[in-house]
Amino acid sequence: MFRKILLMQAFIKKEFIVSKRYLVNSLGGVITLYVIFLLMFGGYQGLRSLAGVGGGTMEGLVAGYVLWLFMLTTYQDAWYTLRTEAQQGTLEQLYMSVHSFGWVMGAKVVAGFFFNLLLVAVLLGAALLTTGVTLNIDLLSLGPVLIGTLLGSWAIGFAIGGITLVLKRIDSYTQMVQFLLIALVAAPAGRVLWMRLLPCSFGSALISRIMVDGMNLTQIGMGDLLLVYGIGLVHLGLGCGIYKLCERKAMLQGTLGHY
Amino acid sequence: MIQVESLQKTYPGRKGQPACRAVDSITFSVPKGQLLGLLGPNGAGKTTTVKMLCGLILPDTGRIFVNGKELTRSRIAALADISAVLEGNRNMYWRLTPRENLEFFAALKGINPAKIRGEINHYLERFRLAEKSDVEARKLSRGMQQKLAILVALISQSKVILLDEPTLGLDVQASHEIRQLLKEIVAEQGRTVILTTHDMNVVQDTCERVIIVNQGRVVADDSVHNLLDLFKVRVYKVTIAGELTGEQRASLLSMEEVLIQEELPHQTVVSVRLEKSEVLYEVIGILGSNNSVIESIDQEQNNFERVFLEIVEGGAQVV
Repeated sequence: MFRKILLMQAFIKKEFIVSKRYLVNSLGGVITLYVIFLLMFGGYQGLRSLAGVGGGTMEGLVAGYVLWLFMLTTYQDAWYTLRTEAQQGTLEQLYMSVHSFGWVMGAKVVAGFFFNLLLVAVLLGAALLTTGVTLNIDLLSLGPVLIGTLLGSWAIGFAIGGITLVLKRIDSYTQMVQFLLIALVAAPAGRVLWMRLLPCSFGSALISRIMVDGMNLTQIGMGDLLLVYGIGLVHLGLGCGIYKLCERKAMLQGTLGHY
Repeated sequence: MIQVESLQKTYPGRKGQPACRAVDSITFSVPKGQLLGLLGPNGAGKTTTVKMLCGLILPDTGRIFVNGKELTRSRIAALADISAVLEGNRNMYWRLTPRENLEFFAALKGINPAKIRGEINHYLERFRLAEKSDVEARKLSRGMQQKLAILVALISQSKVILLDEPTLGLDVQASHEIRQLLKEIVAEQGRTVILTTHDMNVVQDTCERVIIVNQGRVVADDSVHNLLDLFKVRVYKVTIAGELTGEQRASLLSMEEVLIQEELPHQTVVSVRLEKSEVLYEVIGILGSNNSVIESIDQEQNNFERVFLEIVEGGAQVV
């Protein structure tokens, strides 16, 4: 266990060093995401489908934006890491760790989660200040639902990452996932039952109830929370399964570290 | 330390191309503390073999044991004993400094970086990277990056180090430095090093033993010394003052062991490849027949490049 903590520490330290060393670039990313929000805010009447998560209100828009942001960054932690490591030539080194590659990626996404949390908190603050709306930030209720919801975006990240290992340059297609995530956040999974089976959708609906409608975990109920985790774990299993299949194919083809 | 049994790998053909057998029933073993050169022409199967040793390519058949642990069955335990430099100087993070890279990769191999700070400092000093230890890796010279790449493999304390083309693209001085370091590491720490290279000077200078693969098969497996001995060819360079006469030239050219290397108005150099010593006397007789003055007779040194070409191009087998 100690070695796994060491590994996570190493990833956190690396992320911190690179973010700090390339501060201008890091800030550029934050500014870009804020500009995207401003565009959404400016034209939110035209984006009512996204705002639909909160009943078409400005609160719903902000909650939807923050959720999308969280899902985007967690998805990218999985997919983008695999792509970048392959591109840099370090993926093979990660595979030669004393930990299984699953643990290595697990440590990486958990380390990334803390940085995403910070990024989302900053952008949530900026979005609230810009719009002047208030949201119910009940961390005790939000935390468990959020983690269950993000299992779906990690699943998508691993599945796309696996496909990237085999097919290599598919960046133009992976861009589409960003829009897919908007659709998943906006899906009315609270009302349309089958949509609860989609990755992240039911969790997003519950988060919207907490943030916009001011509900708490007790009011949401254990049943719905378990359903979020159940769906999330099934998706994560599928995502990891796709990754393992692609990894095996890449190892058979001898193209694991190529990009 | 490393045992490879009947390793085979065929890549499926793409877009109508036939399947390619990259490795064809390769068997060898490498004991602890040996510096082995794995050689072969491009496409011979070296990199595929090395990547199979690292568990990065799945073999079709065959088994690999690392320190007694079978790679396919006990992957994590077996890989704990192996480190590799596979992508030249790309097996590190370019945005991190040498020190930060070493700390990260130590943790990746399960070592607490805080406990090996002294060792990291020692290696940085020894690899002459101490002054650059806090400079981003992307800003280092190619030679320094290459040394850091090797250091990343060493810091993991693995018993086996695999190096794919460790001196590729380096200048003479950097290449020499890396060769010295590799020899010292093997001698002092008893680690097993397997390196692939196209640089025959590296082989001759550093390796105790070589395995030459061609078309996926092992075609030679012996010590460098034995192979040099086995393919020993004595070549003499005879230099005479002035030009050859037409008669001398015709006589020399009729001998297949003789090559006129250089013919200038003031000097002619003739190269004689000796399989029988009588040939040299015959050549000297021809050259002396017109009162030509023989300025010097020098013996050329046999080198590993010649051995490699004899085996790979000449089809010789030394297994």
